[in-house]
Amino acid sequence: MRFRIYRFDPDRDSKPRWQEYELDLHANDRMVLDALVRLKEQDDSIAFRRSCREGVCGSDGMNINGLNALACITPLAGISEPVTLAPLPSFPVIRDLIVDMTQFFAHYDAIKPYLVNEEPPPERERLQSPAERQRLDGLYECILCACCTSFCPSAWWNPEKFLGPAALLQARRFIVDSRDRAAPQRLEFLDDVYKLFRCRTIMNCTQVCPKGLNPAHAIERIKIDLLRHSS
Amino acid sequence: MRLFTGQSAFVAQRISALLLLACVAVVALRLAIGPSPTFAQWRAWAGQPLGGAVVLVLAGALFMHAWIGARDVLIDYVKPFALRLAVMTFVAAGLCVLAAWTAVIVATHAL
Repeated sequence: MRFRIYRFDPDRDSKPRWQEYELDLHANDRMVLDALVRLKEQDDSIAFRRSCREGVCGSDGMNINGLNALACITPLAGISEPVTLAPLPSFPVIRDLIVDMTQFFAHYDAIKPYLVNEEPPPERERLQSPAERQRLDGLYECILCACCTSFCPSAWWNPEKFLGPAALLQARRFIVDSRDRAAPQRLEFLDDVYKLFRCRTIMNCTQVCPKGLNPAHAIERIKIDLLRHSS
Repeated sequence: MRLFTGQSAFVAQRISALLLLACVAVVALRLAIGPSPTFAQWRAWAGQPLGGAVVLVLAGALFMHAWIGARDVLIDYVKPFALRLAVMTFVAAGLCVLAAWTAVIVATHAL
């Protein structure tokens, strides 16, 4: 199988380049990450992140044949050749397929991704009804791989100010959490020309989310929450 | 709600879109069910107080919708602050002149 990989080493290269590779697949090579690990045996200078190998940690988000995806859950079967692997678009490249996610996590941190509740804690835990717990479905599963935010044109245009689909999905996850008491403050924080309302419902985020989540829908729901909050 | 940022702009853009959509629907229906009015008939209708008020509301919705849309495009694509400010000022001034002109015409004929 033929591969075409984005290469950039800031210590040696003045600009990025593409490098071609050929790999004889083994029977156990099922996912793009399997092939990448084998390619690294050929050329140990290839740099990429990976950890869990099963679509849970979100480390190996990259652009595969033009679409953001997790290498560990993207099957090699039926994939078009050459398999083109590039770092997540719009993020600063540290080396090869490794990107700098500082801005991404700064936006995540800005939405306060934790429960805010000043009430005295109960003896054991803050309970939820099944219905309250169900409201978190489709929100809590985000693994922060950044596939969505990196593929969002609104984030390309205003990367420092627009929070991006991943952070906004997480914001909604805490807005609807019955145990959280800071929903009004969370909504007021988002009522800004940049943080939330740069979203143009392009829906690239929903298209590429490897967990099958719908950040575009979550963003629309936040806008409705804001309307209810202010009326 | 802050003036024309965030949610207020989002809501204003959608309300103005609904008003303009309703206007298009009413005009299309009017043209579909009868002979097309002449310019003199349109002018006479807009010259009545009610017609003039409708024209003013629709013109207001159009200019507001245009401003929010243009502002969003400029925020996304024009990065140098000075250039963005200059283009926004130019667009805002142009829309204000058009709005004032519309108000003068309606006031001249309808009031």
